[in-house]
Amino acid sequence: MDPEFLGTGAIIGGTLLRFLPVWIGLAVVMGGSFVFRRRLAIYGQIYDSPIGITGLGLVLFWVLTAIFADQIALFDPYVQLRALQNKLPGAIDAETGRAFLFGGDALGRDVFSRMVYGSRSVMVIAPLATLFAYMVGIMLGLPAGFFGGWLDTLLSFLANLVLAFPVILLFYLLVTPEIRATAIPGTMAAVLFIFPVLFLLVFFWSRFRERPEVLWYYLAPILLVGGFVYLGLIGAWDPTGLIAMDANTLNIFLAVVFISSPTVFRIVRGLTLDIKTRDYVSAAQTRGERPWYIMMWEILPNARGPLIVDACLRIGYTTILLGTLGFFGLGVSPESPDWGSTINEGRKLLRVFVHPALPPALAIMSLVLGLNLLADGLREQSMKD
Amino acid sequence: MTEPILEIDDLSISFSTRAGDIPAVMNFSAAIDPGQALGLVGESGCGKSTVALGVMRDLGANGRIVGGSIRFKGRELTTMGNADLRRIRGREIAMIYQEPMASLNPAMKVGRQLVEVPMIHEGASFATARGQALSILDAVRLPDPRRILDAYPHQLSGGQQQRIVIAMALMSKPALLILDEPTTALDVTVEAGIVDLVKDLGREFGTSMLFISHNLGLVLETCDRICVMYSGEAVETGPIVEVFDEMRHPYTQGLFRSIPLPGADKTTRPLIPIPGNFPLPHERPRGCNFGPRCEAYQAGRCDAGDVPMLAISPRHETRCLRAREIDWDAPPPGGKGQAASVPGDVVLSVREMDKTYSVGSSALFGGDRRVVKANESVSFEARESETLAIVGESGCGKSTLAKVLLGLETATRGTVALGNLQIGDAPVEARARGTVSSIQMVFQNPFDTLNPSHSIGGQIIRVLEKFGVGSSQAERETRMLELMDLVRLPRAFARRMPRQLSGGQKQRIGIARAFAGTPKVVVADEPVSALDVSVQAAVMDLLMDIQRESRTTMLFISHDLSIVRYISDRVMVMYLGHVVEIGSTAAVFAPPYHPYTEALLSAAPVADTSVRRKRIVLHGDIPSALDPPPGCPFQTRCPRKAQVPGTLCETDLPPLRRLSPDHAVRCHLDDAALAAMEPFIDRPAVPA
Repeated sequence: MDPEFLGTGAIIGGTLLRFLPVWIGLAVVMGGSFVFRRRLAIYGQIYDSPIGITGLGLVLFWVLTAIFADQIALFDPYVQLRALQNKLPGAIDAETGRAFLFGGDALGRDVFSRMVYGSRSVMVIAPLATLFAYMVGIMLGLPAGFFGGWLDTLLSFLANLVLAFPVILLFYLLVTPEIRATAIPGTMAAVLFIFPVLFLLVFFWSRFRERPEVLWYYLAPILLVGGFVYLGLIGAWDPTGLIAMDANTLNIFLAVVFISSPTVFRIVRGLTLDIKTRDYVSAAQTRGERPWYIMMWEILPNARGPLIVDACLRIGYTTILLGTLGFFGLGVSPESPDWGSTINEGRKLLRVFVHPALPPALAIMSLVLGLNLLADGLREQSMKD
Repeated sequence: MTEPILEIDDLSISFSTRAGDIPAVMNFSAAIDPGQALGLVGESGCGKSTVALGVMRDLGANGRIVGGSIRFKGRELTTMGNADLRRIRGREIAMIYQEPMASLNPAMKVGRQLVEVPMIHEGASFATARGQALSILDAVRLPDPRRILDAYPHQLSGGQQQRIVIAMALMSKPALLILDEPTTALDVTVEAGIVDLVKDLGREFGTSMLFISHNLGLVLETCDRICVMYSGEAVETGPIVEVFDEMRHPYTQGLFRSIPLPGADKTTRPLIPIPGNFPLPHERPRGCNFGPRCEAYQAGRCDAGDVPMLAISPRHETRCLRAREIDWDAPPPGGKGQAASVPGDVVLSVREMDKTYSVGSSALFGGDRRVVKANESVSFEARESETLAIVGESGCGKSTLAKVLLGLETATRGTVALGNLQIGDAPVEARARGTVSSIQMVFQNPFDTLNPSHSIGGQIIRVLEKFGVGSSQAERETRMLELMDLVRLPRAFARRMPRQLSGGQKQRIGIARAFAGTPKVVVADEPVSALDVSVQAAVMDLLMDIQRESRTTMLFISHDLSIVRYISDRVMVMYLGHVVEIGSTAAVFAPPYHPYTEALLSAAPVADTSVRRKRIVLHGDIPSALDPPPGCPFQTRCPRKAQVPGTLCETDLPPLRRLSPDHAVRCHLDDAALAAMEPFIDRPAVPA
C-alpha cells in the first residue's frame, strides 16, 4: 500500500514552516546585534562583512535548530513506521496525517526529524571539545613558548607524537571495549578535564595574588563549581546526575580533545614566541611581574584574534571528525540520530535511495561552511583595525 | 631654460575608506630640473610618501588621483596606460624604499636580482647584464663585487643591502630616482656613506632625485630645493639655503625651533615644541591647516578659506597669508630658562662589568660553543639628578647594558651597585619590590610599549599595585590620575585604549609608568627616536621636567648626537661592547676626541647652513660581536690607525686614559696626536 505524497511546493513550504522558531530566533539575534553592532567589539564587526554575516547566519541556524529541536521535529527520531520504509520525501503518515518531509529511511524513521535531532550532539560536543582543547593547548603552549628550553622541547615532542599517530586508529583504540575496560579513559579524563579548572585558577591567581582580599572572591567559586563539574565529568562523584556523560559520549569527547589539543598547543606556542618579544612584555618583566601573569594577562589577550579565528575553524574540523566517527559507528549508540551514523546507514542503499543520506551530509556541509565563512569574516575584520 | 624632468601641478590624491574619501594630498605642485634633487620634508602622515607613490602611480586599491597632473619628461603620467607605465617604472623612474631587506627578494641571489633589470628593460643578454652588474657594484663602492653577486641578501649587512638596492635602481640609468627615507633604518656612520654615495651618483649620472625624509639635516646635505609638507599640503618650497635661512612659514620655523641644533641648551636655550597635535585627515580645520597650532593665527582671516601659495621670491613660495607681516627674525617667545640642577651623590655605579652570552651552533651535537661579549669591562658612575647619555650604533652593547641594569639579564662578571645595593647578579625576580621600582625603563617604540588589550588607566594602576603604592584601589586610582596630570595628558585618557592615542601620547604614558614608583634611576632607551620632530621636543621637555623635580638619575640611550648634546650632562660612547670614551658633554663634544666619536660626530647631519663640518666617512661595517677584532675594537675602521706606531692597535686593547678629571678615552693615540685634533664643526656664533 502506497502512502499519499506531498507535492514539491508543499515539502519546501512545510520545511520552511517547521523551522519557524529558528527564523524568529535568527531575526531577533541578528537584528538585535546589527542595531547594536558598534558596541559589540569584534562580534559586532562581523556585521560589516557579507561573508561574516553569511557564516554567522549558517552557524546560528544550526545552533537554534539544536535548541528548538523538540518544536521543529515532527516525529520521534527513534520511532519506526514500517509503512514508510524507504519512502520518498513528502510521504504522509496515514495515522497522524503528518508528512515525512525528507522521506523515510530503511527502518521507516523520519529523515527530517533525525537530521534535526542530529544537530544536538554536534552542537554540544564540537564547541565544548574545542573549548577543552583550547584550555589544554593554552596551558601547555604558553609556558612552552615563554620559557623555551627543555620544557618546550619536551612538550613539542609530545605534541608531534600525538599528531603523527593515525587519527582513525587512535579512535578505534579508544572505543574498543578492551581499552575501555582499562583505566586509560578514566585517567585521560582526569588529566584532560583538570586543565579548564587550572586555567581559571591560574588566570585569576596571577592577577590578584597581591590582593588577597579580592583573590578569594574569584578563587572560591572556581574551586567550588569547577571542582563539582570536574568530579562529575570524571565520574567520581555526581549527586545530581546532570554532569556525567555516558561512556560513549565521554570517549568521543576525550578522543576529540586529545586529538585537537596538540594543534592548539602549536598555535599558542607560536603566538607566544612572537608576542613575548614585544616591549610591553619587557615592561612587565622590568616591573617584576611573575611569568604566569605575563603569559595570562600580557600575552594571551593579544593572541585572542588569531585564536578566535582558529577556534571557529577547529569547531568545523571537529564537526567533520564527529561525522567520521559516527560514520564508522565509533562511540555512538546504534540507533543514534547523529549525522555520521545516518550517512552510513543511508550509504547502504545509496544506489536505490539517495534521500536518507543526503540531508545529514548537507547539514554537515552547511555547518562547516558557515564556521569557515565566519572565521574568514572575523579574520578580515580583525585585519582592518 | 631646460624642461623639468618631473613637473607636478595641482596634484590631489584621495584614499577611499569605510568612513568615506579622505584627501591625502591636496593641490601639490613641484618641479625637478635635470640633475637636481628636491627634498620633501614633513612629519609622518603629511602625505610625502603618497606624493612619491602617486608619481609611480602605485597607490593601491584605495588610492586615486583626483585632480592635477604629473608630467614626466613632458609625458602625462596620470592618464597613462598600464603598458606604458610598466616601461617607465624601474627604467626611467626608480624608487628606493626605507627597508632594504623588504626591497630584496630573500630567496634570490643578489646577482640574479641585479641582472634581471637590464634583461627585462633592455633585453640584454645574461653576460652583458652580469658585466653591467659588476660595474654598478663598483660604482656603489661595494668591495669584492663577485662575492656579493653570489650572496643572498641576508648574508649582507644593512648598509650593503641598501647599496644593492641603490645599485639595482641605477642599473637602468633612470632619469629620476625617488628615495623614500633611504637611510632611516641605518646607523649614522653607515648613513653618512650612503648619503655621500647618493650625492656623487647624482653628479656622475646626472640623475634627478626626489628625496623624502623627515631629517632636515640630511635634506640640507643632499638637496638643491626643498618642499615642506604639512597635513597633505606643501606649505613652503624654495631653494634649500633660502628656506633654511629665511623661512617664511610658521610651521617651518616651528620645525627648526623644535630640533636641537648646535647651540641649543636645556637650561639656557631650551627647545620650543609646536603646541597641539597633527590634525587627522578628516578633521582638518577650515582655512590654514596649521592655524590651530600657529602663534601668528588671526581668527577671521586664517580660517576664512583656502590659503593659496604666495611667492616670496621668484623661486620661493609659502602657504601663509601673513608671510609678509610676521617679523621672522624676532627671537622666539621666552623660552623658559631653568636653573641647571646640581648632581648629587653617586646613585649607580658599574665596575668592570662583563656580560657574555655563549651561543652553540648545536648544543645536541656538541658543536663548538662560542662566546659573544656583549659588554666588556664597562665601568661608569651616575649621580643623582644627572643625565648620562649612552651613545653607540646598533650592536654596541647599549641595550644589553640596560638589560643588566634592569635585571632582565645578570652580569657575568664585575659589579653593579644601586646605592649600596649590589644588583648585578640579581635577576628582576630576585629583587625586592623597592629595588625593582627604583630602577625603571622608558621603551623605544611607542607602538609597542603599551599592551593593546588593557586600558591606559588599568595599566598604570597595575604598576602601582606591583610597586605597592597606595593601600586601596581608590588611592591608586587617585595616584594614577595624578600621574596623568604629571605627563600633561587629560585625565579622561585613563579610560582609553592604547590604539586611541598618538605615538607621542603613548610615550607619555610610558614615562608615567616608569616614574610611577618614584624611581632613583630611569633608563630611557631611545625614547623619542620613533617620534616626529615636533613631538620629540615636547616629550624630551616633559622627561627633563619630571627628572628635574624628582631628581632622578637618567641613563639616556641614543644614537642621535644632536639630542644627546642637548639633553645630557655626561656622555658615554660605546663601541662593540667597550666604553671608548666617557666624559662631560662639553668635553666629549670638543677635541680631543676618540677617533670613533670623531667619526660619529662628523657623520651626523646638522640642519644649519652656517655649520661647516669636517666629514669623516668610515669604511666597512661594524664587526660582528661573535668575531671581534683583536686589540682595539675600532682598529678595523679607524681612520687614525696610521698615526699609532707599530701594530699596537692590532695587538693590545688600549686602556681607558684619563685626559682630564672628567674625560677619559680608550685610545693608543699619543698626547700630541690628540692635542692636534680640530673641532668637527665651526660653531656658529650664538645669537644673543
